[in-house]
Amino acid sequence: MNESIGDFRELGGGGARVSLVFYPGDFPVRWSQCSATADFFAEYFAAVHACRTADEGARNDFVGTISYIVNELVENAVKFSVGETVEVTVGIEDEELVTIVANHVLAATVGPLLDKFRELVSGDPQEMLFARVEANAENPEDGASGLGFLTMMADYGAKLGWRFAAVHDNPNNVLLKTMARLQVRNQ
Amino acid sequence: MSATDIKGPGYRVWYDEAASTVHFEGSLRLGTAEYEPIAALLESVRTRPAKAITLRMTDLVFLNSSGINTLYKFVIGVRKSGALEVHVDASATIPWQSKSLPNLRKFLPSITITMN
Repeated sequence: MNESIGDFRELGGGGARVSLVFYPGDFPVRWSQCSATADFFAEYFAAVHACRTADEGARNDFVGTISYIVNELVENAVKFSVGETVEVTVGIEDEELVTIVANHVLAATVGPLLDKFRELVSGDPQEMLFARVEANAENPEDGASGLGFLTMMADYGAKLGWRFAAVHDNPNNVLLKTMARLQVRNQ
Repeated sequence: MSATDIKGPGYRVWYDEAASTVHFEGSLRLGTAEYEPIAALLESVRTRPAKAITLRMTDLVFLNSSGINTLYKFVIGVRKSGALEVHVDASATIPWQSKSLPNLRKFLPSITITMN
């Protein structure tokens, strides 16, 4: 299978990027390590030429935004990953900061995930965010399902996309890549 | 009876009854289930006789989407019970607050937010 939803686009070859790959083995990625990962990328890219700014407020905003988005994407990967590697890549392309998180999910979950992702890009993010929160308050068992993606789109202006690809040596798993793109302010 | 002082690695959420203020401090990036004690604290505050409460956010650097959901859910509960005035002290220099806290007005139109 090879299916894309939303604004998914791979980073072009040769573009500047930083990747971090977790091979969890005997020590699964802990929840608190999502935060450390997010803070690393935020601080790293705040010092990259295309993102750097002398304005302290703008730098603060950049670090908070990247940290929020990478943290949400890595939390999702840790929550749904089925024990294989988790790869986090952040790069800059066409004046956008692109974050791609890749992890394995169970092939059996692909159908529901496809439906959920298609729904997330089907309407106005702000309206969907408000509806989702009201629904969560009515049905506490639903958890915060999808709220991270909706806040990224509605509150941070991120464009999101997903790609599912077959894993050749393991038909039980599918490789899921989740992408968030943000406009980088041109200084 | 829920706890009124919740501490964990890098965060603290506590209720100052005399000042009718819930203080949020540090960085909150917990899993959904880990927010339950905080939701219980907020719920216990909601059902106290106080007429007004303040949520002090100015020392909360990060809040993930599960935490944002907890906060939104609390103010929806206040809207439905209609008995409490809620004020939020927020900081415009903390990005998540300037981006996500204004949504509170959608869920609780009577809420007041100070964004310094």
